[in-house]
Amino acid sequence: MDWSLFLPGATGWGDELAAGLWLTLRLGLASVLIGTGLGLLAALGELSRFRALSHGLAAYNVVMRSVPELLVILLLYYGLSFLIMALLRPFGIDSFIEVSPFWAGTLALSLIHAAYASEVFRGAFQAIPKGQVEAGLAFGMSRFLVFRRIKWPVAFRLSLGALANLLMTTFKNTPLVSAIGLQDLIRAAGDAGQNTKLYFQFFIASLVIYLAIAALMQIFQMRAETNLYAHLRRGPSA
Amino acid sequence: MILDWETFLTFVPLLVQGAVTTIELTVLVTIFGFLIALPVALARNSASRAARAFARSFIFFFRGAPILAVLFLLYYGLPQIPGIKDSILWHLIARPMPIAVLALSLNSAGFLAEIFALALRNVAVGDIEAARAFGFSRFQTFLRFALPGAARLCMRAYGNELVFVLKGTAAVNFITITDLIGAANQIYFNTFDPITPLLVAGAIYLVFALLIVTAVRYMERRLSPWLFLKAALKEAKA
Repeated sequence: MDWSLFLPGATGWGDELAAGLWLTLRLGLASVLIGTGLGLLAALGELSRFRALSHGLAAYNVVMRSVPELLVILLLYYGLSFLIMALLRPFGIDSFIEVSPFWAGTLALSLIHAAYASEVFRGAFQAIPKGQVEAGLAFGMSRFLVFRRIKWPVAFRLSLGALANLLMTTFKNTPLVSAIGLQDLIRAAGDAGQNTKLYFQFFIASLVIYLAIAALMQIFQMRAETNLYAHLRRGPSA
Repeated sequence: MILDWETFLTFVPLLVQGAVTTIELTVLVTIFGFLIALPVALARNSASRAARAFARSFIFFFRGAPILAVLFLLYYGLPQIPGIKDSILWHLIARPMPIAVLALSLNSAGFLAEIFALALRNVAVGDIEAARAFGFSRFQTFLRFALPGAARLCMRAYGNELVFVLKGTAAVNFITITDLIGAANQIYFNTFDPITPLLVAGAIYLVFALLIVTAVRYMERRLSPWLFLKAALKEAKA
Protein backbone atom coordinates (compact mmCIF):
# COMPACT_ATOMS: atom_id res chain seq x y z
CA MET A 1 0.00 0.00 0.00
CA ASP A 2 1.13 3.50 -0.82
CA TRP A 3 1.31 5.38 2.46
CA SER A 4 2.03 8.71 0.75
CA LEU A 5 -1.71 8.83 -0.05
CA PHE A 6 -2.31 9.83 3.56
CA LEU A 7 0.26 12.64 3.53
CA PRO A 8 -0.78 16.26 3.01
CA GLY A 9 -0.01 17.92 -0.30
CA ALA A 10 -1.11 17.85 -3.91
CA THR A 11 -0.93 14.08 -4.36
CA GLY A 12 -1.84 13.00 -0.83
CA TRP A 13 -5.20 13.26 0.89
CA GLY A 14 -3.84 14.00 4.36
CA ASP A 15 -4.93 17.64 4.42
CA GLU A 16 -8.46 16.84 3.19
CA LEU A 17 -8.80 14.12 5.81
CA ALA A 18 -7.44 16.42 8.52
CA ALA A 19 -9.94 19.14 7.52
CA GLY A 20 -12.72 16.55 7.68
CA LEU A 21 -11.60 15.37 11.09
CA TRP A 22 -11.46 18.97 12.33
CA LEU A 23 -15.05 19.53 11.22
CA THR A 24 -16.14 16.26 12.84
CA LEU A 25 -14.47 17.24 16.11
CA ARG A 26 -15.91 20.77 16.14
CA LEU A 27 -19.39 19.58 15.23
CA GLY A 28 -19.30 16.70 17.71
CA LEU A 29 -17.95 18.75 20.61
CA ALA A 30 -20.32 21.68 20.04
CA SER A 31 -23.30 19.30 19.86
CA VAL A 32 -22.26 17.42 23.00
CA LEU A 33 -21.71 20.61 25.01
CA ILE A 34 -24.94 22.31 23.93
CA GLY A 35 -26.88 19.05 24.08
CA THR A 36 -25.70 18.17 27.58
CA GLY A 37 -26.57 21.66 28.84
CA LEU A 38 -30.02 21.54 27.26
CA GLY A 39 -30.48 18.00 28.57
CA LEU A 40 -29.76 19.13 32.12
CA LEU A 41 -32.28 21.98 31.83
CA ALA A 42 -34.84 19.61 30.31
CA ALA A 43 -34.34 17.12 33.14
CA LEU A 44 -34.91 19.85 35.73
CA GLY A 45 -37.99 20.93 33.79
CA GLU A 46 -39.29 17.38 33.70
CA LEU A 47 -38.83 17.04 37.45
CA SER A 48 -40.47 20.40 38.18
CA ARG A 49 -43.96 20.83 39.60
CA PHE A 50 -45.28 22.32 36.36
CA ARG A 51 -47.30 19.49 34.90
CA ALA A 52 -47.59 20.95 31.40
CA LEU A 53 -43.84 21.55 31.21
CA SER A 54 -42.89 18.08 32.37
CA HIS A 55 -45.39 16.34 30.09
CA GLY A 56 -44.31 18.46 27.15
CA LEU A 57 -40.65 17.64 27.72
CA ALA A 58 -41.42 13.93 28.13
CA ALA A 59 -43.26 13.96 24.80
CA TYR A 60 -40.35 15.81 23.21
CA ASN A 61 -37.96 13.08 24.42
CA VAL A 62 -40.12 10.30 22.99
CA VAL A 63 -40.34 12.01 19.59
CA MET A 64 -36.65 12.88 19.39
CA ARG A 65 -35.61 9.38 20.34
CA SER A 66 -37.93 7.74 17.80
CA VAL A 67 -37.16 9.73 14.68
CA PRO A 68 -33.99 9.10 12.61
CA GLU A 69 -31.20 11.61 13.15
CA LEU A 70 -31.00 12.25 9.40
CA LEU A 71 -34.62 13.39 9.35
CA VAL A 72 -34.05 15.85 12.19
CA ILE A 73 -30.96 17.23 10.44
CA LEU A 74 -32.81 17.72 7.13
CA LEU A 75 -35.89 19.17 8.81
CA LEU A 76 -33.88 21.73 10.76
CA TYR A 77 -31.71 22.67 7.80
CA TYR A 78 -34.67 23.30 5.49
CA GLY A 79 -37.11 24.24 8.19
CA LEU A 80 -35.05 26.88 9.97
CA SER A 81 -34.57 29.02 6.88
CA PHE A 82 -38.29 28.72 6.05
CA LEU A 83 -39.15 29.66 9.61
CA ILE A 84 -36.81 32.66 9.72
CA MET A 85 -38.05 33.90 6.34
CA ALA A 86 -41.67 33.52 7.45
CA LEU A 87 -40.92 35.42 10.66
CA LEU A 88 -39.18 38.25 8.79
CA ARG A 89 -41.85 38.64 6.12
CA PRO A 90 -44.22 40.75 8.26
CA PHE A 91 -41.36 43.22 8.74
CA GLY A 92 -41.03 43.71 5.01
CA ILE A 93 -37.86 41.66 4.69
CA ASP A 94 -38.41 39.30 1.79
CA SER A 95 -34.92 38.13 0.97
CA PHE A 96 -33.82 34.50 0.77
CA ILE A 97 -32.11 33.41 3.94
CA GLU A 98 -30.03 30.26 4.22
CA VAL A 99 -29.04 28.82 7.56
CA SER A 100 -25.42 27.78 7.84
CA PRO A 101 -25.27 23.99 7.44
CA PHE A 102 -22.79 23.78 10.32
CA TRP A 103 -25.13 25.45 12.80
CA ALA A 104 -28.20 23.64 11.49
CA GLY A 105 -26.33 20.36 11.93
CA THR A 106 -25.04 21.34 15.35
CA LEU A 107 -28.52 22.36 16.48
CA ALA A 108 -30.03 19.09 15.19
CA LEU A 109 -27.43 16.90 16.88
CA SER A 110 -27.67 18.98 20.08
CA LEU A 111 -31.44 18.62 20.25
CA ILE A 112 -31.14 14.84 19.78
CA HIS A 113 -28.33 14.63 22.33
CA ALA A 114 -30.44 16.67 24.78
CA ALA A 115 -33.34 14.21 24.56
CA TYR A 116 -31.10 11.32 25.60
CA ALA A 117 -29.10 13.34 28.14
CA SER A 118 -32.25 14.56 29.89
CA GLU A 119 -33.35 10.95 30.45
CA VAL A 120 -29.94 10.21 31.97
CA PHE A 121 -30.02 13.26 34.26
CA ARG A 122 -33.64 12.65 35.26
CA GLY A 123 -32.80 9.10 36.33
CA ALA A 124 -29.76 10.34 38.24
CA PHE A 125 -31.70 13.06 40.10
CA GLN A 126 -34.41 10.57 40.99
CA ALA A 127 -31.80 8.16 42.34
CA ILE A 128 -30.45 10.65 44.89
CA PRO A 129 -31.32 9.43 48.41
CA LYS A 130 -34.05 11.72 49.79
CA GLY A 131 -32.34 11.81 53.19
CA GLN A 132 -29.34 13.67 51.78
CA VAL A 133 -31.51 16.44 50.39
CA GLU A 134 -33.61 16.64 53.56
CA ALA A 135 -30.46 16.79 55.68
CA GLY A 136 -29.20 19.70 53.61
CA LEU A 137 -32.48 21.59 54.00
CA ALA A 138 -32.53 20.81 57.73
CA PHE A 139 -29.12 22.40 58.05
CA GLY A 140 -30.59 25.57 56.64
CA MET A 141 -29.16 25.38 53.15
CA SER A 142 -31.10 27.26 50.47
CA ARG A 143 -32.61 25.21 47.65
CA PHE A 144 -29.90 26.44 45.32
CA LEU A 145 -27.14 25.48 47.74
CA VAL A 146 -28.68 22.01 48.15
CA PHE A 147 -28.63 21.68 44.39
CA ARG A 148 -25.06 22.91 44.03
CA ARG A 149 -23.53 20.96 46.94
CA ILE A 150 -25.64 17.81 47.11
CA LYS A 151 -27.91 17.10 44.17
CA TRP A 152 -25.59 18.07 41.33
CA PRO A 153 -22.38 16.31 42.51
CA VAL A 154 -24.25 13.07 43.24
CA ALA A 155 -26.28 13.20 40.02
CA PHE A 156 -23.19 13.98 37.96
CA ARG A 157 -21.36 10.93 39.32
CA LEU A 158 -24.36 8.74 38.63
CA SER A 159 -24.73 9.96 35.05
CA LEU A 160 -21.09 10.05 34.00
CA GLY A 161 -20.96 6.58 32.42
CA ALA A 162 -24.14 7.07 30.42
CA LEU A 163 -23.03 10.56 29.34
CA ALA A 164 -19.76 9.17 28.00
CA ASN A 165 -21.73 6.64 25.95
CA LEU A 166 -23.94 9.44 24.63
CA LEU A 167 -20.88 11.41 23.59
CA MET A 168 -19.76 8.49 21.44
CA THR A 169 -23.25 8.14 19.96
CA THR A 170 -23.33 11.80 18.97
CA PHE A 171 -19.86 11.58 17.43
CA LYS A 172 -21.02 8.62 15.41
CA ASN A 173 -24.01 10.64 14.21
CA THR A 174 -21.85 13.45 12.81
CA PRO A 175 -21.23 11.81 9.37
CA LEU A 176 -24.94 12.27 8.61
CA VAL A 177 -24.35 16.00 8.13
CA SER A 178 -22.79 15.27 4.75
CA ALA A 179 -26.45 15.14 3.62
CA ILE A 180 -26.58 18.93 4.05
CA GLY A 181 -23.28 19.50 2.28
CA LEU A 182 -20.76 19.46 5.11
CA GLN A 183 -17.35 17.87 4.54
CA ASP A 184 -16.79 15.67 7.57
CA LEU A 185 -14.19 12.93 8.00
CA ILE A 186 -16.23 10.18 6.32
CA ARG A 187 -17.15 12.46 3.42
CA ALA A 188 -13.48 13.40 2.97
CA ALA A 189 -12.55 9.72 2.96
CA GLY A 190 -15.26 9.11 0.37
CA ASP A 191 -13.93 11.91 -1.87
CA ALA A 192 -10.41 10.55 -1.57
CA GLY A 193 -11.70 7.08 -2.39
CA GLN A 194 -13.58 8.33 -5.43
CA ASN A 195 -10.52 10.06 -6.84
CA THR A 196 -8.06 7.25 -6.21
CA LYS A 197 -10.45 4.27 -6.52
CA LEU A 198 -9.03 3.15 -3.19
CA TYR A 199 -12.22 3.35 -1.14
CA PHE A 200 -11.27 0.46 1.09
CA GLN A 201 -8.05 2.04 2.35
CA PHE A 202 -9.58 5.43 3.02
CA PHE A 203 -12.67 4.15 4.80
CA ILE A 204 -10.53 1.84 6.94
CA ALA A 205 -8.34 4.86 7.80
CA SER A 206 -11.40 6.87 8.87
CA LEU A 207 -12.67 3.92 10.90
CA VAL A 208 -9.33 3.67 12.70
CA ILE A 209 -9.65 7.34 13.68
CA TYR A 210 -13.18 6.78 15.02
CA LEU A 211 -12.08 3.70 16.95
CA ALA A 212 -9.15 5.66 18.39
CA ILE A 213 -11.59 8.31 19.62
CA ALA A 214 -13.74 5.55 21.12
CA ALA A 215 -10.74 3.96 22.85
CA LEU A 216 -9.60 7.33 24.23
CA MET A 217 -13.09 7.96 25.56
CA GLN A 218 -13.14 4.60 27.31
CA ILE A 219 -9.79 5.25 28.97
CA PHE A 220 -10.92 8.72 30.03
CA GLN A 221 -14.18 7.29 31.36
CA MET A 222 -12.39 4.63 33.42
CA ARG A 223 -9.98 7.21 34.84
CA ALA A 224 -12.79 9.59 35.71
CA GLU A 225 -14.78 6.84 37.36
CA THR A 226 -11.88 5.65 39.51
CA ASN A 227 -11.31 9.24 40.62
CA LEU A 228 -14.95 10.10 41.22
CA TYR A 229 -15.73 6.86 43.02
CA ALA A 230 -12.57 6.83 45.14
CA HIS A 231 -14.69 6.88 48.29
CA LEU A 232 -16.50 3.72 47.22
CA ARG A 233 -13.39 1.63 46.65
CA ARG A 234 -13.06 -1.24 49.04
CA GLY A 235 -10.08 -1.77 51.30
CA PRO A 236 -6.74 -0.07 51.01
CA SER A 237 -6.50 1.59 47.62
CA ALA A 238 -4.61 -0.43 45.08
CA MET B 1 -44.80 27.28 0.36
CA ILE B 2 -46.55 24.75 2.56
CA LEU B 3 -48.17 22.35 0.20
CA ASP B 4 -51.88 21.72 0.06
CA TRP B 5 -53.24 18.35 1.04
CA GLU B 6 -54.75 17.57 -2.36
CA THR B 7 -51.34 17.70 -4.03
CA PHE B 8 -49.91 15.81 -1.11
CA LEU B 9 -52.36 12.94 -1.59
CA THR B 10 -50.94 12.24 -5.05
CA PHE B 11 -47.63 11.41 -3.39
CA VAL B 12 -49.08 8.96 -0.89
CA PRO B 13 -48.11 5.89 -2.97
CA LEU B 14 -44.49 7.08 -2.95
CA LEU B 15 -44.56 7.44 0.83
CA VAL B 16 -46.13 4.01 1.23
CA GLN B 17 -43.37 2.51 -0.92
CA GLY B 18 -40.74 4.24 1.19
CA ALA B 19 -42.40 3.05 4.39
CA VAL B 20 -42.43 -0.52 3.07
CA THR B 21 -38.69 -0.31 2.36
CA THR B 22 -38.07 1.00 5.88
CA ILE B 23 -40.13 -1.83 7.41
CA GLU B 24 -38.42 -4.40 5.21
CA LEU B 25 -34.98 -3.19 6.28
CA THR B 26 -35.95 -3.04 9.96
CA VAL B 27 -37.31 -6.60 9.93
CA LEU B 28 -34.34 -8.06 8.03
CA VAL B 29 -31.80 -6.27 10.21
CA THR B 30 -33.64 -7.41 13.35
CA ILE B 31 -33.42 -11.04 12.19
CA PHE B 32 -29.83 -11.00 10.90
CA GLY B 33 -28.61 -8.82 13.75
CA PHE B 34 -29.95 -11.39 16.22
CA LEU B 35 -28.42 -14.30 14.30
CA ILE B 36 -24.98 -12.64 14.25
CA ALA B 37 -25.16 -11.35 17.83
CA LEU B 38 -26.02 -14.62 19.58
CA PRO B 39 -22.84 -16.54 18.63
CA VAL B 40 -20.74 -13.45 19.38
CA ALA B 41 -22.39 -13.17 22.81
CA LEU B 42 -21.62 -16.83 23.50
CA ALA B 43 -18.03 -16.29 22.40
CA ARG B 44 -17.87 -13.24 24.69
CA ASN B 45 -18.71 -15.46 27.68
CA SER B 46 -16.75 -18.47 26.48
CA ALA B 47 -13.94 -20.13 28.42
CA SER B 48 -11.65 -19.85 25.41
CA ARG B 49 -9.38 -16.84 25.48
CA ALA B 50 -9.24 -16.58 21.68
CA ALA B 51 -13.04 -16.63 21.37
CA ARG B 52 -13.35 -13.93 24.03
CA ALA B 53 -10.74 -11.78 22.30
CA PHE B 54 -12.56 -12.15 18.97
CA ALA B 55 -15.91 -11.23 20.50
CA ARG B 56 -14.44 -8.24 22.33
CA SER B 57 -12.86 -6.89 19.14
CA PHE B 58 -16.07 -7.48 17.17
CA ILE B 59 -18.10 -5.57 19.75
CA PHE B 60 -15.52 -2.78 20.07
CA PHE B 61 -15.29 -2.37 16.29
CA PHE B 62 -18.98 -2.26 15.48
CA ARG B 63 -19.96 -0.21 18.53
CA GLY B 64 -17.27 2.38 17.85
CA ALA B 65 -17.73 2.68 14.09
CA PRO B 66 -20.33 5.06 12.62
CA ILE B 67 -22.98 3.21 10.60
CA LEU B 68 -22.18 5.26 7.50
CA ALA B 69 -18.50 4.29 7.62
CA VAL B 70 -19.33 0.58 7.76
CA LEU B 71 -21.95 0.97 5.05
CA PHE B 72 -19.55 2.81 2.71
CA LEU B 73 -16.72 0.43 3.48
CA LEU B 74 -18.83 -2.51 2.30
CA TYR B 75 -20.64 -0.71 -0.52
CA TYR B 76 -17.61 0.96 -2.12
CA GLY B 77 -14.79 -1.11 -0.66
CA LEU B 78 -15.90 -4.70 -1.30
CA PRO B 79 -15.80 -4.51 -5.12
CA GLN B 80 -12.13 -3.59 -4.74
CA ILE B 81 -11.21 -7.05 -3.44
CA PRO B 82 -9.37 -8.81 -6.27
CA GLY B 83 -11.31 -11.65 -7.87
CA ILE B 84 -14.57 -10.86 -6.12
CA LYS B 85 -16.30 -9.84 -9.33
CA ASP B 86 -15.86 -13.36 -10.71
CA SER B 87 -17.21 -15.12 -7.64
CA ILE B 88 -20.80 -16.18 -6.98
CA LEU B 89 -20.83 -13.84 -4.00
CA TRP B 90 -20.79 -10.89 -6.39
CA HIS B 91 -24.39 -11.47 -7.48
CA LEU B 92 -25.41 -11.03 -3.87
CA ILE B 93 -23.44 -7.92 -3.08
CA ALA B 94 -23.65 -6.06 -6.37
CA ARG B 95 -26.98 -4.60 -5.24
CA PRO B 96 -27.35 -1.97 -2.50
CA MET B 97 -30.07 -3.76 -0.52
CA PRO B 98 -28.08 -6.84 0.64
CA ILE B 99 -25.11 -4.61 1.43
CA ALA B 100 -27.33 -2.33 3.51
CA VAL B 101 -28.81 -5.29 5.42
CA LEU B 102 -25.33 -6.71 6.06
CA ALA B 103 -23.84 -3.40 7.25
CA LEU B 104 -26.80 -2.51 9.47
CA SER B 105 -26.97 -6.05 10.90
CA LEU B 106 -23.28 -6.03 11.80
CA ASN B 107 -23.69 -2.64 13.44
CA SER B 108 -26.71 -3.77 15.45
CA ALA B 109 -25.01 -7.08 16.33
CA GLY B 110 -22.18 -5.16 18.00
CA PHE B 111 -24.64 -3.63 20.46
CA LEU B 112 -26.82 -6.73 20.78
CA ALA B 113 -23.91 -9.07 21.51
CA GLU B 114 -22.94 -6.97 24.53
CA ILE B 115 -26.57 -6.86 25.74
CA PHE B 116 -27.02 -10.63 25.31
CA ALA B 117 -23.64 -11.49 26.89
CA LEU B 118 -24.42 -9.38 29.93
CA ALA B 119 -27.89 -10.93 30.31
CA LEU B 120 -26.53 -14.47 29.93
CA ARG B 121 -23.91 -13.81 32.60
CA ASN B 122 -26.57 -12.56 34.98
CA VAL B 123 -28.95 -15.50 34.77
CA ALA B 124 -29.35 -16.82 38.32
CA VAL B 125 -26.62 -19.41 38.95
CA GLY B 126 -29.02 -21.42 41.10
CA ASP B 127 -31.38 -21.93 38.14
CA ILE B 128 -28.58 -23.36 36.03
CA GLU B 129 -27.25 -25.56 38.83
CA ALA B 130 -30.75 -26.86 39.56
CA ALA B 131 -31.30 -27.72 35.89
CA ARG B 132 -27.99 -29.55 35.71
CA ALA B 133 -28.76 -31.39 38.96
CA PHE B 134 -32.06 -32.54 37.48
CA GLY B 135 -30.10 -34.15 34.67
CA PHE B 136 -30.68 -31.69 31.84
CA SER B 137 -27.84 -31.79 29.33
CA ARG B 138 -25.73 -28.68 28.91
CA PHE B 139 -27.48 -27.88 25.65
CA GLN B 140 -30.94 -28.41 27.15
CA THR B 141 -29.99 -26.25 30.12
CA PHE B 142 -28.90 -23.51 27.77
CA LEU B 143 -31.98 -23.72 25.59
CA ARG B 144 -34.61 -24.08 28.32
CA PHE B 145 -33.11 -22.16 31.25
CA ALA B 146 -30.25 -19.84 30.33
CA LEU B 147 -31.83 -18.43 27.15
CA PRO B 148 -35.30 -17.67 28.59
CA GLY B 149 -33.69 -16.32 31.75
CA ALA B 150 -31.48 -14.01 29.73
CA ALA B 151 -34.42 -12.95 27.54
CA ARG B 152 -36.24 -11.78 30.67
CA LEU B 153 -33.26 -9.73 31.75
CA CYS B 154 -32.47 -8.03 28.45
CA MET B 155 -35.95 -7.35 27.03
CA ARG B 156 -35.91 -3.62 27.78
CA ALA B 157 -32.41 -3.05 26.40
CA TYR B 158 -33.34 -5.16 23.39
CA GLY B 159 -36.37 -2.96 22.74
CA ASN B 160 -34.22 0.17 22.84
CA GLU B 161 -31.81 -1.41 20.38
CA LEU B 162 -34.68 -2.26 18.01
CA VAL B 163 -35.67 1.42 17.95
CA PHE B 164 -32.03 2.17 17.07
CA VAL B 165 -32.29 -0.36 14.24
CA LEU B 166 -35.36 1.46 12.92
CA LYS B 167 -33.58 4.82 13.08
CA GLY B 168 -30.36 3.37 11.66
CA THR B 169 -32.10 2.28 8.45
CA ALA B 170 -32.14 5.95 7.41
CA ALA B 171 -28.46 5.56 6.47
CA VAL B 172 -29.46 3.64 3.32
CA ASN B 173 -30.37 6.97 1.72
CA PHE B 174 -26.66 7.46 1.15
CA ILE B 175 -26.41 4.37 -1.07
CA THR B 176 -29.30 5.09 -3.46
CA ILE B 177 -32.05 3.17 -1.62
CA THR B 178 -35.29 5.15 -1.30
CA ASP B 179 -36.77 4.65 2.15
CA LEU B 180 -39.24 6.88 4.00
CA ILE B 181 -36.83 9.81 4.13
CA GLY B 182 -35.89 9.26 0.49
CA ALA B 183 -39.58 9.37 -0.43
CA ALA B 184 -40.02 12.59 1.56
CA ASN B 185 -37.04 14.06 -0.28
CA GLN B 186 -38.53 13.12 -3.67
CA ILE B 187 -41.78 14.83 -2.75
CA TYR B 188 -39.72 17.90 -1.82
CA PHE B 189 -38.02 17.93 -5.23
CA ASN B 190 -41.41 17.74 -6.94
CA THR B 191 -43.25 20.29 -4.83
CA PHE B 192 -40.53 22.57 -3.40
CA ASP B 193 -41.97 21.99 0.06
CA PRO B 194 -39.38 20.25 2.23
CA ILE B 195 -41.19 20.57 5.55
CA THR B 196 -44.55 18.84 5.15
CA PRO B 197 -43.19 15.58 3.68
CA LEU B 198 -40.47 15.36 6.34
CA LEU B 199 -42.98 16.00 9.12
CA VAL B 200 -45.27 13.29 7.75
CA ALA B 201 -42.33 10.88 7.47
CA GLY B 202 -41.34 11.75 11.03
CA ALA B 203 -44.87 10.98 12.26
CA ILE B 204 -44.72 7.59 10.52
CA TYR B 205 -41.36 6.81 12.16
CA LEU B 206 -42.85 7.78 15.50
CA VAL B 207 -45.73 5.35 15.01
CA PHE B 208 -43.29 2.55 14.05
CA ALA B 209 -41.13 3.22 17.11
CA LEU B 210 -44.17 3.22 19.41
CA LEU B 211 -45.28 -0.10 17.86
CA ILE B 212 -41.85 -1.60 18.60
CA VAL B 213 -41.90 -0.33 22.18
CA THR B 214 -45.43 -1.64 22.75
CA ALA B 215 -44.55 -5.06 21.32
CA VAL B 216 -41.47 -5.30 23.55
CA ARG B 217 -43.50 -4.28 26.63
CA TYR B 218 -45.99 -7.00 25.80
CA MET B 219 -43.17 -9.56 25.47
CA GLU B 220 -41.73 -8.39 28.77
CA ARG B 221 -45.07 -9.00 30.50
CA ARG B 222 -45.40 -12.40 28.89
CA LEU B 223 -41.88 -13.42 29.93
CA SER B 224 -42.02 -12.28 33.54
CA PRO B 225 -45.69 -11.89 34.53
CA TRP B 226 -44.90 -11.99 38.25
CA LEU B 227 -43.12 -8.65 38.01
CA PHE B 228 -46.35 -7.06 36.81
CA LEU B 229 -48.63 -8.79 39.31
CA LYS B 230 -49.12 -5.67 41.42
CA ALA B 231 -50.10 -3.58 38.41
CA ALA B 232 -52.43 -6.29 37.17
CA LEU B 233 -54.13 -6.61 40.57
CA LYS B 234 -54.58 -2.86 40.74
CA GLU B 235 -56.16 -2.89 37.30
CA ALA B 236 -58.46 -5.76 38.27
CA LYS B 237 -59.64 -3.91 41.37
CA ALA B 238 -60.28 -0.64 39.58
